[in-house]
Amino acid sequence: MVRRPGRILRWSRIGKGGQGAYNAVMAERQSRKVLSVSDVNRLVAGMLGEFFSDVWVEGEVSNFKAYPSGHFYFALKDMDAQLPAVCFRSAAAKLRFRPEDGMQVVVHGRLDLYQVSGKFQIVVDWMEPKGAGALQKAFEQLKKKLAAEGLFAEERKRPLPRLVRVLGIVTSPAGAAIHDMLTTLGRHRAPIEVVLYPAQVQGEGAAEQIAEGLRVLNGRGGVDAIIVGRGGGSIEDLWPFNEEVVARAIAASPVPVISAVGHEVDFTISDFVADVRAATPTAAAELVAGPWEEVRRGIVEAFGVIVESIEQLLADGEQRLETLVKDRAFEVVRSRLIELRQRVERQTVVGERAVRQKVRMALARWNELGRRLTVQHPGERLARQRARLQVQLAALERRMTMSLVRSATRLARSAGRLDGLSPLASLGRGYSICQKPDGAVVTSVGQVEPGDRIGVRVSDGRLECDVMGKQEESGK
Amino acid sequence: MKKAEERRETFDFEKALGELEAIVKQLEAGNVPLERSLELFQQGVELARQCKVKLDEAELKVRQLVKDKEGLFSEEPFEGEDEQ
Repeated sequence: MVRRPGRILRWSRIGKGGQGAYNAVMAERQSRKVLSVSDVNRLVAGMLGEFFSDVWVEGEVSNFKAYPSGHFYFALKDMDAQLPAVCFRSAAAKLRFRPEDGMQVVVHGRLDLYQVSGKFQIVVDWMEPKGAGALQKAFEQLKKKLAAEGLFAEERKRPLPRLVRVLGIVTSPAGAAIHDMLTTLGRHRAPIEVVLYPAQVQGEGAAEQIAEGLRVLNGRGGVDAIIVGRGGGSIEDLWPFNEEVVARAIAASPVPVISAVGHEVDFTISDFVADVRAATPTAAAELVAGPWEEVRRGIVEAFGVIVESIEQLLADGEQRLETLVKDRAFEVVRSRLIELRQRVERQTVVGERAVRQKVRMALARWNELGRRLTVQHPGERLARQRARLQVQLAALERRMTMSLVRSATRLARSAGRLDGLSPLASLGRGYSICQKPDGAVVTSVGQVEPGDRIGVRVSDGRLECDVMGKQEESGK
Repeated sequence: MKKAEERRETFDFEKALGELEAIVKQLEAGNVPLERSLELFQQGVELARQCKVKLDEAELKVRQLVKDKEGLFSEEPFEGEDEQ
């Protein structure tokens, strides 16, 4: 039995020979070996395996059939010849495009003899469209397919959360994209936690890494949004973002996904599937950081609104108080007002928190006073006094709101550096507090006599004073 | 330091922001009774202050996921931009 390929090759040479060859064959007859069909096929299969295990072939796809098993059967042909081809499921699943009849392709694989029929074929493990626009063709095919599945539908798109606090990013840790995004987030002073899944974004295996990144970030939990992307590049560079595995991972992501690939002109499949498409990584970061900027502005505006309201209230109160003070009918209540005001002022020295407490108490007292007054005075007088009482309250609260205004204004101006409400705020405005040596606050001329020594507290210290004389205001 | 940490955790930024917005809306609408106004001022100033402090103290934090031998991920600070 002859098994060595060398021997068989020699036969084939013999076959070309004409008369000489015939003679040679006749001469061989004595020693010839007869092979079985199986032997031949096995030998040929071995040869094919040895010499054609790694070939690239270009041709046109013909008679393409995709079987339910996932295998593709077709033929490659050119002007003069045909080559049967098979692409098994595992390889077929990796193709970036779907072959069609008439398509010019380059395939890679090995030649194999199907020994049962004696036909040989190429077992394809990789195939790419050939020629200009080939990738474009693959792109259009996948786009069409996914669109048909509804993956690009508007109603699938979810809005980003108003404020993103934890941001997942899938991109290369060394690329321009991550640099641009972090710079942008930093520029907006966005208080965001970024969780980066470092993935290769071009070349072999990149698509799988990107898809894995989306899955891992979703699995991590607590992520509010995910940016997946890379900087600009050639269509080949951007290709992973046109691959089905990435598109599917984006579609499957429970967390909203922003696709940010390259430059404005290029759309990728990722852009279509993602919930939000950003033209560049920088633009994606803007989308996430921008709302924080608005919040920051909103807070400053809120201070403004509050200060404005306080000022309005004060202006109203002042005006009504003016009117009131001129009204003789109000004399009785006025002395009470003054007393209460002083009480509040005194408390201002004690501390801001205490002031609030005391004002609340004073307000309660004031309400009580008002209630009693209204009980005592029926009819129209009662109604008038009640109205005035309201004005009194405004005046009383002025003590508090004044300090609030000060702090609110300062806050709005210095972007949130609240120095606290100074307990000495009132003193700073020109008020002072008179105290007797025992600490009692002087609120009435009746408390002191000429010759008494009193302390006067001003904003930055204390004055020791002697009372030279006193004068009671009329009408008290 | 510890205190600041605790406050950070208990402070719900978005809730505070929502309350602040509601207060501003009320104040802008006017017609708020006097005593209520005062309350709103206090609350508003306090909320705005807290939000502002929270915003100012929070910084951009960047970590990256690193896979260990068992295929489990951990998070490490991301220094970034070291070319590989």
